[in-house]
Amino acid sequence: MKNHLNDGQLRAALDGELDFDELKHLESCPECQSRQKMLEAQIRPAVERLRFLSSLTQDSGLSTSSAWNKFNHETLAQKETSMFRKLFASPLIRYGASAALVIALILAFPATRALAGELLSLFRVQRVTVVPVDFTGMEQLDGAVGNNISQLISDSITMKNEPGDPVNAATTDEASQLAGFNVRAPQDITPSRISVMSGASFTFTIDRDKAQALLDEAGRSDLVLPEEVDGADVSVNIPSSVSIAFGTCPEPSSATEAEREMERETTTSGSPGRVYKDCIIFAQIPSPEVSAPASLDINKLAQIGLEFTGMTAEEAAQFTSTVDWTSTLVVPIPKNAASYEQVTVDGVTGTLIERPSDDAPQFALFWIKDGIIYTLGGLGNNSQRALEIANSLP
Amino acid sequence: MDETVWHESVPCQMKLSKSKSEQAFESIFHEYWNSIQRLLSRMVIDPAEAEDLALETFFRLYKYRPAQHEDFNARGWLYKVATNLGLQSIRSFKRREQYETHAGRETIIEAHEQQPQRIFAENEERNFVRTALGRMNLRQAELLIMRYSGMSYKDIAAALDLSPTSIGPLLLRAEREFEKCYRMLTQEEER
Repeated sequence: MKNHLNDGQLRAALDGELDFDELKHLESCPECQSRQKMLEAQIRPAVERLRFLSSLTQDSGLSTSSAWNKFNHETLAQKETSMFRKLFASPLIRYGASAALVIALILAFPATRALAGELLSLFRVQRVTVVPVDFTGMEQLDGAVGNNISQLISDSITMKNEPGDPVNAATTDEASQLAGFNVRAPQDITPSRISVMSGASFTFTIDRDKAQALLDEAGRSDLVLPEEVDGADVSVNIPSSVSIAFGTCPEPSSATEAEREMERETTTSGSPGRVYKDCIIFAQIPSPEVSAPASLDINKLAQIGLEFTGMTAEEAAQFTSTVDWTSTLVVPIPKNAASYEQVTVDGVTGTLIERPSDDAPQFALFWIKDGIIYTLGGLGNNSQRALEIANSLP
Repeated sequence: MDETVWHESVPCQMKLSKSKSEQAFESIFHEYWNSIQRLLSRMVIDPAEAEDLALETFFRLYKYRPAQHEDFNARGWLYKVATNLGLQSIRSFKRREQYETHAGRETIIEAHEQQPQRIFAENEERNFVRTALGRMNLRQAELLIMRYSGMSYKDIAAALDLSPTSIGPLLLRAEREFEKCYRMLTQEEER
């Protein structure tokens, strides 16, 4: 090698990062060696100043195991909870909750029952299962895409009967008359309030192209909706429901007020967790009825839905194949911020979901018996009390 | 609870085994936590903030799902994200200089009996270094932080999508630029 080294090569030599040929030249070239010494002196102040960045002194920071625990139990939980709340406290809650129910029920439709395209199938919820969802992977819904999805759902729904405001009932007998089914309540505890919410019905028409465009916008063009879903009408009939409150509970509210309540909870360091810590709300509703074209490829839609939540194709396929989708209501929960267990409750198998939190822990107990969906939930750590109430039902 | 029968385990259909992506993430976390936390604790003086930024770095990796990317260079990826978060923090936190000056003085007071002059000078210089890095062109600051944190030219080149042979010249330019920024800062301070 005859050419002298340039300044960049001389700098690399100081870090021992020079190629073999160049190094050989440097070792035998007094001129390059002299220039290297000058360059070394020139950059020495910067080198001395920046040296502390490479100090190997271990700080009194978190150990790896503590950091791993903190990451799983705090960082992920906070991010997930924040995303979960944003998603469910947004306008999505008004139509999205109903749509989620529709989708869950669509998923419940067994593929083996797929008959002629024109036939309609009627199905009802018979059991509940939980799907842990990594909501941190759905941050794309927190913004324009989320608003567009909200708009699409809103545009796709034709309301037949809007749900009215909740009406208070003095007794469970009165609630039974208003709701049109036999309302159950534990006999040894006095409720603080019984409310009846009238039913609602609507039709959801799938616009395949618009839905696909939103998937593309959300960066998920790898998920392709089947052409045949386009124009499919899904009719939903949600019966009247009853909620019975025990302890100090918030007033039953409209969706907008519920959003404000959620917002307060996220901005006031969990004050509802303190204010309503003894509140337990026991809700019951006969299974909604859903009719949909029997030709819908339910497994395919389930796969797409689960992949959209962040599951890999393999995970989604595993979940869709192992869960009995027949008549199953799928409840999404934050994967890292909540835990769930199957429990025997009211003589059947139910699901207890718990979200631990320092300021506002939450729980929800779901079960279905004789065609009625029951939920017992609240803020606080009263899940065992909820189980006692559920097991004392007449 | 006596009347409640808890299932000993969740039925298998309700369990999702740890995915390949989660396993890859856990392994990377354990391998690099210490070095990323150390890097950030050098860049930002507040230990709590360094810890938050380190957790944020790994959260971004978690979302990136490393197992889904072939030939994934975890070290380079983490250092680049951590460096950027550290620099953003230096640049955006307007009270930083006040905080750090205050923190430096606190240290002085605490260590009054033990070589206060040396500690003061060291803290002051490090604060100037951080501020100078925050004022520099992002690419040059990234390069300096990665190199002075101990990364090889090959790793830096992979992380910054550069040719390994370009690192020497770029590093030299960055060091010269840094020295200019540093001197300007100290002159501003003297005025």
